[in-house]
Amino acid sequence: MQLKPKAPRPTPANARRRLIAASCALLGAAARSQQANVAPADSGLLEDWSVDSALAYYHEDGRILAIEPVVNLAKVFADGQSLNFNGTFDSLSGSSPNGALTSHTAQTFASPSGKAKHAYTTAPGQLPVDPNYQDTRIAVGGNWTLPFTRVDQLSVGAKVSDEHDFFSVTVNASIAHDFNEKNTTLSFGISNEFDSLSPIGGAPVPGSDYALSQKNAGKTKDGVGALIGVTQVMTRNWLTEFNVSVDRFKGYLNDPYKITSIIDSAGNTTGYEFESRPDQRTRKSAYWENRVGWNQQLSTALSLRYMTDDWGVRSDTAQLHLRWTLSNRDRYIEPTLRWYRQTAADFYTPFILSATVPTTGFESSDSRLGAFHALTYGLKYAQKLPGLGSRAESEFSVRAEYYQQTFNERIATPAALQGLDLYPGLKAILVQVGWRF
Amino acid sequence: MAGKASNAPDEALRVEVRGENLLAVCFTAMASPCETLLSSTVDAAALELGTLVAQEAWRVEKKFSRYRNDSVTAWIHENRGTRIEVDEETASLIDFASQCFDLSDGLFDITSGVLRYAWKFDGSDRIPEAAAIRHLLPLVGFEKLEWQSPRLLLPAGMELDFGGIGKEYAVDRAYDLLAARRSAPFLVNFGGDLRANRSPSHGPWQVGIERPDTDRTAKMILDLEHGALATSGDSRRYLLKDGVRYGHILDPRTGWPVWHAPRSVTVAASSCTEAGLLSTLALLHGARAREYLEEQGVRYWLLQ
Repeated sequence: MQLKPKAPRPTPANARRRLIAASCALLGAAARSQQANVAPADSGLLEDWSVDSALAYYHEDGRILAIEPVVNLAKVFADGQSLNFNGTFDSLSGSSPNGALTSHTAQTFASPSGKAKHAYTTAPGQLPVDPNYQDTRIAVGGNWTLPFTRVDQLSVGAKVSDEHDFFSVTVNASIAHDFNEKNTTLSFGISNEFDSLSPIGGAPVPGSDYALSQKNAGKTKDGVGALIGVTQVMTRNWLTEFNVSVDRFKGYLNDPYKITSIIDSAGNTTGYEFESRPDQRTRKSAYWENRVGWNQQLSTALSLRYMTDDWGVRSDTAQLHLRWTLSNRDRYIEPTLRWYRQTAADFYTPFILSATVPTTGFESSDSRLGAFHALTYGLKYAQKLPGLGSRAESEFSVRAEYYQQTFNERIATPAALQGLDLYPGLKAILVQVGWRF
Repeated sequence: MAGKASNAPDEALRVEVRGENLLAVCFTAMASPCETLLSSTVDAAALELGTLVAQEAWRVEKKFSRYRNDSVTAWIHENRGTRIEVDEETASLIDFASQCFDLSDGLFDITSGVLRYAWKFDGSDRIPEAAAIRHLLPLVGFEKLEWQSPRLLLPAGMELDFGGIGKEYAVDRAYDLLAARRSAPFLVNFGGDLRANRSPSHGPWQVGIERPDTDRTAKMILDLEHGALATSGDSRRYLLKDGVRYGHILDPRTGWPVWHAPRSVTVAASSCTEAGLLSTLALLHGARAREYLEEQGVRYWLLQ
């Protein structure tokens, strides 16, 4: 067959360009001809970003009340890169234990600010709490993930948190490598945190007499951490993740507002001193999580964590998380049960007997360093709703958690103090309303 | 749009759950299993989008099928020898075919369908007589049309066949419809020709390409983040005589099968139309398929 005369044969690159142009012309014409019946896509600022927003209400029984709006923005780009930003605004108010021991007599404390109007008196038999506790915190963070080969990705992030007496900057970077046909992921991450403390009234000299109010200007602390982890797809429906991490903090690690009661052998409070913690802390932890999809309705996540540090605190956490999708697939509920137990720091003491000199030279009555166990019961309900504009869907959720802390170890106490609740536990509730779109 | 009631047995949709956050809306069109994959768990919303895709596939099939007597193709064939004016969409497809014909030195030719009157690829050894092919060749050749968009004159005895580009074109059309409504990840797959807007959050789409050299369940798995893949092959249709395999890829210039064509060529490109054209042209280059693909500088997977 004879072909009619044609222009000289195009070069391959030229031919490819013309081929692309021809395809585009065809599809462009098609796009024009169907424009009339296409609904306009929304083109707002947040187009293509998935937005996760929540408002949390946290209340410790008789103590702190916090209201916390949280927003998280995420976008995955066509080339696999992703960006995410989050912001939190905390408003805390209420009463915070100052560390002093409950007593048979009334106790009067000066406020950290030194202002007379903020001095407060605790009634006999009551846990001393500073009723003027008020703080706001703004935290913003961002993370950028960049796949740089088909099986490697780099992630870098930063977080800044600001309170009137505390400023913190954290930077982190991690790298993940997939192999074994993407069934195995190895990851390694490092982080670095820089904190600057400017407590109201100054940073107390650790272990100094409360009455002397020896305080310095601002203090700093910083931390470095590293994590190595492996994630393994075991079967189609079973994913396991294991990681170990270590971090080390150095600097002023005291809580500047915590004091410890000094009592005599009769149980009378003779004075207070500021807490004194070591200026270093190294923590090591191991974490294991198994996620299993049992069927289209039910999936579970069971995680175990073990942590130990050179302050003598060892903790175990076990958490069981269920996700149960209801029959029509647009609703699910997530019950959560978390059990936590920790041993006390070597220098934890609810009070100092004036007759004894702390052997370590360190002491703290901060209940967070005591021996306790805690249970958290949680339930989340989520309802999926049609998306807005071009979004696939949105989700409305309500989450409630109840936290109950109980102290385990009690140390020998002067007879006179018996009958007082020296180890009040803590009960707290959290209610969170979320909207993701 | 194709009315759902008109041929209900074919126009059925099925929703399958493929993962925690992955739905497939499946249907049949152009004699192929088709599906729309959506990162979604909302059946109603997904079904609505899946329906949109299916209706577009059925619309394109109905409009351009050479097997239907109510298609534009049938209407063009009925009006052979007469100068007719075609609609905008048909005109753009003929324009595209015209450019492909020029760019491929006549290898890609939508008028080559009449050769199937001589070649019946039924796995038998019935090789046509050379005379039968010579008799048909005068009816093949895009340059014999009178085409001045939108006016067409199809000479007597000739046929147009949009089958070689229709499926890929339908994928791109459906893709555009979805992309205008949805930014969350989705993938449109019509019988292995597919296009995705972006990766789901858990990683790239895993695309299974049938390996024609083995049994049909064996698949080659490719990772696709976004863009299109199209596969052309002569796996299942052939004639075998005296130990020679006559594949169903016919060279429109000779009327005979292209020798040593790969069993299957898969090409990645930004649109399915482009990917489909490249994979078809690669097959038509026969033994030179790999060389041709290398010249084009595209990602490809070739099975000999």
